[in-house]
Amino acid sequence: MLILLKNIFKTYKAGQVDVPALVDITLQVDQGEFVAIIGQSGSGKTTLLDIVGCLSQPTSGEYWLDGDHVNTLPDSLLTGIRNKKIGFIFQTFHLLARKTALENVQLPLMYAGASRTVQQDKARELLTRVGLEDRLRHYSNQLSGGQQQRVAIARALANSPSLLLADEPTGNLDSQSGKDILALFEQLHRQGQTIVMITHDPLIAHQAERRITLADGRIVADESIHQPLPVLG
Amino acid sequence: MAESWQMNPSISPYQCWDKIVLRSIFLDALKNLSGNALRSGLTMLGVIIGVAAVITMIAIVEGGQVWLVHSLERMGTNLLFVWKKRLTVEERQLFAGRNTELRYDDALAIQTRFPDLLVAPIIELDGQLKAGDRDYSGEVTATAPEYSPIRNFRPESGRFLTSTDLKEWSRSVVLGRTIAEVLFGSQSAIGEDVKIGDQRFTVIAVMEPKGEIYGHDYDEMVIIPISTGLRFFQGTDKIQSMIIHVPDRQRMDEISQALHQFLVQRHDGVDDIHIRNQGEFLTALDQTILTFRLVLGGIAVIALLVGGIGIMNIMLVTVTERTREIGLRKAIGARRQDILLQFLIESTTISVIGGCIGILVGILAAYGIGDLVAQAMPGGGDWGAVVQPTAIAIAFAFAVMVGVGFGLFPAMKASKLDPAEALRHQ
Repeated sequence: MLILLKNIFKTYKAGQVDVPALVDITLQVDQGEFVAIIGQSGSGKTTLLDIVGCLSQPTSGEYWLDGDHVNTLPDSLLTGIRNKKIGFIFQTFHLLARKTALENVQLPLMYAGASRTVQQDKARELLTRVGLEDRLRHYSNQLSGGQQQRVAIARALANSPSLLLADEPTGNLDSQSGKDILALFEQLHRQGQTIVMITHDPLIAHQAERRITLADGRIVADESIHQPLPVLG
Repeated sequence: MAESWQMNPSISPYQCWDKIVLRSIFLDALKNLSGNALRSGLTMLGVIIGVAAVITMIAIVEGGQVWLVHSLERMGTNLLFVWKKRLTVEERQLFAGRNTELRYDDALAIQTRFPDLLVAPIIELDGQLKAGDRDYSGEVTATAPEYSPIRNFRPESGRFLTSTDLKEWSRSVVLGRTIAEVLFGSQSAIGEDVKIGDQRFTVIAVMEPKGEIYGHDYDEMVIIPISTGLRFFQGTDKIQSMIIHVPDRQRMDEISQALHQFLVQRHDGVDDIHIRNQGEFLTALDQTILTFRLVLGGIAVIALLVGGIGIMNIMLVTVTERTREIGLRKAIGARRQDILLQFLIESTTISVIGGCIGILVGILAAYGIGDLVAQAMPGGGDWGAVVQPTAIAIAFAFAVMVGVGFGLFPAMKASKLDPAEALRHQ
C-alpha cells in the first residue's frame, strides 16, 4: 500500500467562517494503481491533491505515504519526500520560463544532490523517454503545450518517484496533445508507475482503472473501471 | 495496519549542504541572472546610480575642501593681520596729541619684543611704472623681506628684498610675473631699470606665478623696500597694515591678544588697533565646509534611497513570477535554505557587480565634473575631485546591503508560504 489517508479534514478560514474543503476522507491507494479523482470545481479535489502531494498539511487526520507518517513530519522532511517520492504534473506545466527543457528536468536532480554530469545524463534520458530528444535545448516558449507537458512529465519522473500526481494534466492542451499525454500515462502505468490524476472530465477519468468521485469535500463514489477506454478510441 | 509501517530511512533529514548541491545552486543562480538580463540590468542600475552618486558627490565636496585649504596655504597660514582702526571725530578730538598711528616703529618694536614672529609692515602706493617705451600704472607694495616667507611667495629668478635693501633705502624692485611680462615681454627683467614715478629702480627679482587668491592677484604685484617707500614716496613713517606669521597655530589667540595689548600700550593707551586672526577665519571656513558636507551627505542618502527604491520596485514587479517559481522549486524538492541561498547569491551578485560598476562610474563622473568645475571657476585651475576610499567603501557597503536586503526580503516571505499557496499565487 502506497497511500493511506485516515479521517482527513481540511478547513480554510474565510474571515470568521470556517470553510470545510475536505470532510472525513479515508482512502487507500496501492502500488501500481492508476487512480482518477473526479469532481466539480469546488469539490475539494485540488485540496486533496495538495495534501497527497505534501504541498500542504491537513487540519486533522492521518496521512501515510510509502511508510512515512507524513502529517507529523517537519517541513524539511516533507521537502525530501516531495523531491524523491512524488512527481508533480500541473495543468499549467509550471516550467521555469528562462530555462531549457534539459535544465528544467535537471532541477529535481539538482536538489537531490546529483552531480552535474548525472543531472544532465538523467535529464537527457528522461526527455528521450517522453519523445523530446530533439528539443533538449529549447526554452518553454519555443515548445508547444503538449511538448511542455512532456517536459513536465520528464521532470516529474526525474527522481523515480513512487507516486505521480497529475492535476488536470490535459486541461490546457488541445485534444490530440491531451490524448498523447494520456497515452504516455497509460504507458507509465503499464511499467508499474502509480498515478493519481485529478480531472473534472469523466472521459479522461475513464482512462484510469479506478475512479474516485468527490463532492462537497467528501468521497461519494469509489469504483473500479474494468475496461478503460482505449486512449485513441 | 498503519502501526506496522516503519519510518522510511531513505528520507533522512539533511541539515547542511553538500558540495554538489551548493555548486548546483550557485550555477543555477548565476544562470537565472544571465537568463533574465533585463531584470538583472534594471536592478543593477539602482545600485549603480546609488553608488556612483554618493562617490561623485563626496569626491566633489572633498575636492572643494582640499582646494580651499590649499588656496589658504598659498596665501600663507597662521597669519595675523593688523590694521589701524578708523577713529570717529569724537575719538580723534578726545585722543588729540596722543600717538594714534600705526607706524614703522611699531613693526620694529614687535619684532624686537616677539623675536619668533615674522613681521611684514605694509604700505600700498599708487605708482606709474615705465621701462623703455612700455608703462604700467598700478599699485606698488612697500614691505619687508619677511613678506616672502609669510605669504609663501618666492622669487622665480633673482633674490627677494633683504635687510640691506631696507637699511640702504635701496631702489630695488621685485616684479610679479604679469608685470614683468608687460614691461619686458619674454626678455629677462633682472638687472633692468624701471622708473616708478620719477625714481629709477633696478629689478632684482621676478616672482613665481601664484595667480589670484581672494581677489588679490599676486602676479600683478610690484614690491619695493618699505624704507624706500616711506622715505621717497610717502614722507612719513605711517604704515597701513602688518602681516604677522605665528609659528605655532595653537598660540595664535594668545599672541593676538598680547600684540593688541602691546600696541595699545605703545599708542598711549588708545585702542586704535584691529587684529584679524586667520585662525578665526579657518574656523568659520571649517563650519562652512561642514554645512556643505551635511547638505551633500543628505543628497547622497537620497540618491542611495532612490537607487534602493529602484531595486525594490523591480523586485516587487517580479515577485508574482518569482513566488510561483519558489512554489515550484519547493514542490520539486528545494528546501527553504536552498531557496534563500539561491536568492542570496542572485542579489549579492547583482549588488556587487552593480556596486563595482557604480564605483567606476562614480570615479569617472567625479573627475569629469571636477574638470568642468576647474574650467568654469576663476582661479580654479588646480581644482580637482578627491575620491575618498572611505566614501567608496561606505557607498558600496550601503548599496550592497540595500540590494541584498530588497532582493532577499520578498524571497524570505515567499519561501515561508505553503508550496501549494505559492504555486497558485496570482
